Amino acid sequence: MQQLVQLIVSGVAVGAVYALVGLAFIMVNEATGVVNFATGQMVAIGCFLAVSTSLQLGLPLGPAYLLALAGMVFFGVAFYAVVFRPLQDRPVVTVIIGTVMIGIVIQNAALLTWGSVPFRPRSPFGRQVVDVFGAALSAHALFVIVVAFLMIALLYFFIYGTAIGARMRAVAQDRDAARLMGIGVDRMFVLTWIIAGLLTGAAGILVGPMWFADVNMGDPIALKAFAAIIIGGFSSVPGAIVGGVLVGLAEMLGAAYISSAYKDGLVFLVMILFLLVRPQGIFGERIGQRA
Amino acid sequence: MMRLPVALPMAVIASCAVFALALLLPAVVSGYGIRILNLALISAIAVIGLNFAFGYAGLITLAQAGFVGCGAYITAILSTMVGLSPWLSIPIAVVGTGVISLAIGLPILRLKGHYLALATLGFNVSFVIVATNWKSVMGGTDGISSIPPLALPGWPIANDHRYYYVVWFALALTSWCAWRIRVSHLGLAMIAVRDDEIATGAASVGVTRIKLQAFALSAIYAGLAGALFAHMANFVAPDDFALSHSIVYLAMLIIGGEGSIAGSITGSVIVTFMPELMRDLGTAYLIVFGGLMLVILIFLPKGLLSLVNLRLGRAGTLR
Repeated sequence: MQQLVQLIVSGVAVGAVYALVGLAFIMVNEATGVVNFATGQMVAIGCFLAVSTSLQLGLPLGPAYLLALAGMVFFGVAFYAVVFRPLQDRPVVTVIIGTVMIGIVIQNAALLTWGSVPFRPRSPFGRQVVDVFGAALSAHALFVIVVAFLMIALLYFFIYGTAIGARMRAVAQDRDAARLMGIGVDRMFVLTWIIAGLLTGAAGILVGPMWFADVNMGDPIALKAFAAIIIGGFSSVPGAIVGGVLVGLAEMLGAAYISSAYKDGLVFLVMILFLLVRPQGIFGERIGQRA
Repeated sequence: MMRLPVALPMAVIASCAVFALALLLPAVVSGYGIRILNLALISAIAVIGLNFAFGYAGLITLAQAGFVGCGAYITAILSTMVGLSPWLSIPIAVVGTGVISLAIGLPILRLKGHYLALATLGFNVSFVIVATNWKSVMGGTDGISSIPPLALPGWPIANDHRYYYVVWFALALTSWCAWRIRVSHLGLAMIAVRDDEIATGAASVGVTRIKLQAFALSAIYAGLAGALFAHMANFVAPDDFALSHSIVYLAMLIIGGEGSIAGSITGSVIVTFMPELMRDLGTAYLIVFGGLMLVILIFLPKGLLSLVNLRLGRAGTLR
C-alpha cells in the first residue's frame, strides 16, 4: 500500500512534467499551426540552463531558476525568428523535418556546451522526505506536482481570463480574421513561442533533480509528451493534463508491476490503441483526422 | 502538381549512363569508401520505397527504419538460428516485412497528417524496445552477430567490393520496378490520392486500398534494404533501426527531391557521404548537418535535383 502511494505520487509528478511539455506542444500547434518536434530539446535546454546557473555559477536556486527561465524566454524568441518565420507556411512534413533538424542542432550544440557527462541538479528540497499516512514521499515530487499545476492554472487563467489570451485564441481560430480585427498576429506568435519556452523550461528545471540532466534527455521526454497529448486529445488543455498523468502513472506502475523493460512499450501501445479507437483522445477535437 | 511521366530520352540516357558508370566505381574507390558507398545504395533502396508512401501517396511515415529493421532481423534470425541459406532468407524477409506492414497499415492508415506521423513513430519506437528486450530471439542490445555473407557457387561475396555489385544490381532492379510502378495505374492512383483524396475516392478509386499498397510497397523495399544490410554488416543491433534513422530516410528523400526516384538515390548518396566529407568538424558535425538540412528545406523545397532539372530544361524531369 505504501509502495503504491509512493508510485502514484512519483507517477503524477513525472506525468505533470509530461503535461507541461504537452501543453507547450499544443500551444504552439494550436496558435501557429507548427508541429514542433524540437519540443524535447527545448526541455533539455531549460534543464541545462538551470544546471549552469545553479551548479556552474553557484547561484541560490531561486534566482538560478528565474535566470534560466529568462534564458528560455530569449530562446523562445530566437526559435520564433530562426525556425518559425522561415517554415511558417510550409507543408506539415517540411515543418516536421525542419523542427527535427533544429532539434538535432540544439542537442549537439548542448553536447558541445555541456559535455556528455550527465549532471545531477539539486532540488530545493534536497533529498527530504515527507511522511504522509506512513508513506515516505519525496518532497521534490510533491513540489513538482504543486508547481506544475500552479503553472497550468496560471496558463489557463491567462488564455481564458485575460484580453491578451482572448487575442491569442482569436489568432488560433482564424489568423486572417484576427488580423482584420486589428490583432497583432505576429506579436501573438512571439508570445506563443515565449510561453512554449517557459513551459518547457519549467519542465526541464523540475525534471532535472528527478532524473539526471543528460543532453539526450529531450527525445524520451518529448515522445512521452506526444503519447500524453494523443491520449488526452490533441488540442485540449485538460486533455494534456489527464494524458500526462496517465502516461506518468502507466510508466511508474507498469515498471513496478508489469515489466520495467517494457514500460515505454506499454505507453506507446496505449497511444496507438487510442489513435485507432479514439483518435480524438479523451477530451479532444472531434476531427480526429485533421491534417 | 505532379508532371506527366514523359520519359524524355535525355533523362533516360542520363540515368542509364550514371548507372553504368557506377559499375566502374569499385575500381577507383578504396576499402572504406566502398563500404560507405554500399551503405548509400542500400539506403537508396529504402528511400525509393519511402518515396511510394511519402512522395507519391503523401503518407507521412516515420516507420521506415522500423521496417528496415524487420527485414534485417528476419533474415538474421533465419540465417543464423534456423540455418537457412541467405538466398532463401532474404526473400522471406522481404515478404515478411510486407506482411507486417499490412498488419500495421490496415488499422493506422485511417489516420492523416501528424496523427499518422505519430502512430508510425510509435511503431518505430516500439520496434526498438522489443528488439532491445526480447533477448532470446532478437539478441537484446548485443544484437545478432555472425550473420553469414552471401555466396555464389565458387565466388563468395565476402568483401565489400564484391558486395557492391550485389547492391548495385538490387538498386538497379528496384529502381526499374519503381519506375514501372510509377507509370502504371497504381502509380497514378497513388499520386491522385495525394493530390486530392476526396476527388479520387469520388472517381471510385479505392483510396484505402491504394494507401495500403503504397505503404506495403515502401515496407517491402525497406525489408530488402534491411536484409541486404544484415548480410553486408554480418551483424544487426537495435541502434541501426532507431527512430532517428527513419528521420534520416525522410531527410534523404526531401533533400534529393520527393516524388522522384533519381532524387531518392541522389539524396541517399549525399546524406550518407556527408559525415565523411565533414569528418574534420568532429562533434560539431551534426550541428552543421542539421543546419544544412534546414537551409535546403527552406531554400530548395523541391530538393537538390530541382537544380539539375532546371539545367536540363523544364521538360527534362526524371520524375
